Amino acid sequence: MTAPDATQPSAADEIAAATALSRRVTALFGRSLHIRTLDTGSCAACEQEIRLLAAPHYDLHRLGFFFTPAPRHADLLLVTGPMLRAFSLAARKTYVAMPEPKLVVATGACALGGVYQPDAFSYGSVDQVLPVDVWIPGCPPSPLALLHGLMVAVDRLAARVGSVSFTADGE
Amino acid sequence: MPQWFVTGLRRGVVTTRYPARREPAADDLPTPPAFRPEWLSQDRALRLAEVCPSSALAVADGELVFDVGKCTACGRCHQAVPEAVTASGEFELATGRRQDLVKRIPILPSSAS
Repeated sequence: MTAPDATQPSAADEIAAATALSRRVTALFGRSLHIRTLDTGSCAACEQEIRLLAAPHYDLHRLGFFFTPAPRHADLLLVTGPMLRAFSLAARKTYVAMPEPKLVVATGACALGGVYQPDAFSYGSVDQVLPVDVWIPGCPPSPLALLHGLMVAVDRLAARVGSVSFTADGE
Repeated sequence: MPQWFVTGLRRGVVTTRYPARREPAADDLPTPPAFRPEWLSQDRALRLAEVCPSSALAVADGELVFDVGKCTACGRCHQAVPEAVTASGEFELATGRRQDLVKRIPILPSSAS
């Protein structure tokens, strides 16, 4: 066991950092950020890693992120898999059902276009069907990589919310 | 895992300190490759593009084009050309700009190979 390093942040700093992120999420939404996962034909390795985010070691909830089964309650769509053509309608419906502001996060090498080429069965990548905001590489991305991706997504969401102009475009 | 157990016993907390602090377990993750341009001849670059099973590597305009987003960190490029390929150790790769994930690595002129 090594002696505590004075240059490292203390336990209190860590709690402060986690609380700050949680507060930022709350300030943006007035509540916690809710995640809907969407499997568009993945091998379930990504799902295994996503499931681990809620496990005690990673404890996603401490940061103000929660999973929800309902797209209508979700702010963030965590999409895995190469987007099968048979599933694309369900994926579009899920996206449309989510309230604004919403984010799409493509997760894993399949979703980013690495594993499957476009063919008769799959689009080959998620951005062919949904407007992707954040890309998380990895096969599968580790829970740490997913946590980093979610933090990137929160930053992007802050920028996006700031760009809402409140002008009607004649619809 | 044993380290988590010891840490948990000492602090009474098993949860990772990740966003605020480095996670030691991150050192053991499989990560995308990093390339050594001084060892990257034309032949080797073509060989790398050939062995990559997920089309993350391609040779274009005298450069090795590496799409990190497509990489599955399988390690076949390291097996094929161990001199020129090493593990990058990077796992915080999420981005809001897809083009940021496409890296261009210079290749040695073909006379040097």
